[in-house]
Amino acid sequence: MDNARILVVDDDREIARAIEKNLKMEGYEVVKAYNGLEALDALVSANIQLILLDVMMPKLDGLSTTMKIRESKNIPIIIISAKSDDSDKILGLSMGADDYITKPFNPQELVARVKSHLRRYMHLGYMDDKVRTSKIQVGGLCLDTDAKQLEVDGEAVRLTATEYKILELLMTNTGVVFSAEKIYERVWNEPAYSVENTVMVHIRRIREKIEINPKEPNYLKVVWGIGYKIEKH
Amino acid sequence: MDIKLKNISRKKSTKAAVFILTVIMITLTVAQFQFISYNDIIPESLIIREYSKSEYFLTQEVRNAWYEINSMMENRGEVPEYAHYYYFISDGEKTYSNVEGKDKNFFKQFDKAFYSYEKGTWTIGENTNPGGITNFYVSEGYTIYISYPDEFMNEKQQEWEESREILVPFAVRVGALAVIILILIAFLMFQTGKNQLDDEIHLTKIDSIFSDVLFLFFIPLAAFWIIGISNLYYSGMSHVRQMYSTLWIGILTAFISVMCGIILLSLTRKAKAGRLFKHTVMYSVVYRICDFFKSLFDGRMFERYPLTKSLFYRQLVFITSSAFLVFLTFLFLLLYVPLLVLIPPVMEIVIIYWYIKGNNKTFEDINKGFNESLGEQMKAERMKIALVTNVSHDLKTPLTSIISYVDLLSKEESLSETVRDYVNVLSEKSNRLKNIVSDLFDLAKSTSGDIPLELESLDIKKLIEQTLADMEDEIEKSNLQIKTKLPENSLNIYSDGKKLYRVFQNVIDNALKYSLAGTRVYVELEEIDGKAVAKIKNTAAYEMDFTAEEILQRFSRGDKSRTTEGSGLGLSIAESFTNVCGGKFKVEIDGDLFKVQISFNLDR
Repeated sequence: MDNARILVVDDDREIARAIEKNLKMEGYEVVKAYNGLEALDALVSANIQLILLDVMMPKLDGLSTTMKIRESKNIPIIIISAKSDDSDKILGLSMGADDYITKPFNPQELVARVKSHLRRYMHLGYMDDKVRTSKIQVGGLCLDTDAKQLEVDGEAVRLTATEYKILELLMTNTGVVFSAEKIYERVWNEPAYSVENTVMVHIRRIREKIEINPKEPNYLKVVWGIGYKIEKH
Repeated sequence: MDIKLKNISRKKSTKAAVFILTVIMITLTVAQFQFISYNDIIPESLIIREYSKSEYFLTQEVRNAWYEINSMMENRGEVPEYAHYYYFISDGEKTYSNVEGKDKNFFKQFDKAFYSYEKGTWTIGENTNPGGITNFYVSEGYTIYISYPDEFMNEKQQEWEESREILVPFAVRVGALAVIILILIAFLMFQTGKNQLDDEIHLTKIDSIFSDVLFLFFIPLAAFWIIGISNLYYSGMSHVRQMYSTLWIGILTAFISVMCGIILLSLTRKAKAGRLFKHTVMYSVVYRICDFFKSLFDGRMFERYPLTKSLFYRQLVFITSSAFLVFLTFLFLLLYVPLLVLIPPVMEIVIIYWYIKGNNKTFEDINKGFNESLGEQMKAERMKIALVTNVSHDLKTPLTSIISYVDLLSKEESLSETVRDYVNVLSEKSNRLKNIVSDLFDLAKSTSGDIPLELESLDIKKLIEQTLADMEDEIEKSNLQIKTKLPENSLNIYSDGKKLYRVFQNVIDNALKYSLAGTRVYVELEEIDGKAVAKIKNTAAYEMDFTAEEILQRFSRGDKSRTTEGSGLGLSIAESFTNVCGGKFKVEIDGDLFKVQISFNLDR
């Protein structure tokens, strides 16, 4: 797993080189390409496990490349783009990308995301075999309701009883927005009064455990002025 | 000397005095006429020295005599006993006289006043050209002699001269007064509008009334005066009533002359300022009408809308030609030329076709122009957005390299202490640059309006609580206390939660950064007049030597010495986002108190 091969595609050679350096430090093999067409060639000639893809590139842009790759391959694609609008992110993800990182990115975060996606990708088959009704799967999160345990990208994460209950509530109802009062009533089994802060503190702790960047959560999202939810993946 | 005179004569008090003097003199003059008629004085005595030659004598005395004699002859009346004239009348058969048996010579001896009618001709004394007496009609066959005895005539002449003695000095007085009045009026007219300071004409408030309106005031004033005088005029014998009558006529005249004087002087001022005719209702009405028609043809009317020009002219031609054709139709009908009657309708159809076709083309042009300008506007908007996007990309790409290589550099183990220190500075600054660039583009996009909104009904109270909970780490680090005062119930507004979170995050962040250590930050929310009003108050750690407007201006920073963190755009972004989301953002600075007020209409 550690010698997985990653394809880095960016028309800015220096950025590609910096990413390569960072990934190599983590023990990955790196193949570089400088536009979409080269990326497609590289995919054919080498066995690639993950792709980091820039959007604005000559010859074939990142979104078109993603669509082309998705025609035949299921490997994780992480888009790295200077476009930071929500609409750009949504477009990228809907084209088939698995993640979207905006430039300028934090190299540590980039590496963490690469790791996360690789683990999920590598373990996917293994997970599928062992899937049981007691397990709730959302993206890289896997909640075992029997063992009351959480795995993030295949790695066990320790949760407190309250955190577990909140996560279970949100994961069994993906896409549903829960207000702090509702969460409190369901988890604490007490009438809720001025509980926003209490709930939010737990939400933040959970985020720190399951998110790569808690400031830009991937799973546990705040719906401002309404409540909290975990989105379907 | 000259200047001194000028100064005196232009003084307001001088002018007022002259004005009053003029009014008094006019009043005196008019009142004197009442005095004259009160004394029963015949004005003619002023011109004619001798009573016997006066028109008065002829028309009063002689005419009377003639009438009485004539009536007697025609058996319609009699000459009264007391008649103070001698007469003889004969038609050849009948003869009447009050001096029986006297012949023409008897009458002739009273040569001062001897009137004869013989063979169809009037004679006065020896004069065969008797003037006004020929008006007294007598049958041609008559012979008439009328004579007035000398005693009567002398007595009358005496009275006549007494009258003259009163009238001549009166006439001289009135004449002199008239001359003086005219001089005074001339003086007033010359000096009006001028002052001591300069030679300009200064208009007063009354001059803002249109000249012709002002001029028209003369008519009711004159009518009022004439009616007033004829009503007040009294020629009877009661002295008391005479006095009253004179007094009232005087008051009326004084009033009317003051009014007329004001009007006259106003008109004079305007004339001097060259506005007499321009500043009239007539002129402005005529001018506007003329100007309107002129503007149709000199292009002013359609300067801004050239396309409506052809529309207008076409309409003009259409209406006039149609009217002409209708007229022609009537003409032909009246003249009864059946074949020609058909021509106007046919021509009208042609004109209607031409009119509609032309209009359609103009409308097409207008639509085209409208679409073009709309397209250009859209293009400009798209270009602006594209510019922001491209510049954003061009800034972010090198920044990505910088951050990445600084990061790689910091991972090098062989670095000396100093180099590591430098790398830390680079890392810190490049991260700050990243934040600034990010904020800058958020701001650019939100101010250009190119920002997608996800509007939904949300509870602003909850949002503030969530924001505060989310920022707990920063709050703890700041050593500041947050005091919240939130309502019991939820306050729902219709807005974009994510943007609003950024707003509150930036404002609270700002408060945390710039508050005096150990002070409290107040976060309050309340409902005021159907609005959710949030207030964030903090005590600044430094003197705020800027205004509320300045702090919101892009890049301006409260504390110019603290430039180590943040982009300085936080409040600007908060303001811009609030506006985009449909709220109001207000900053107040009161001494060391910094207050931000964010208000949204409640969603009902």
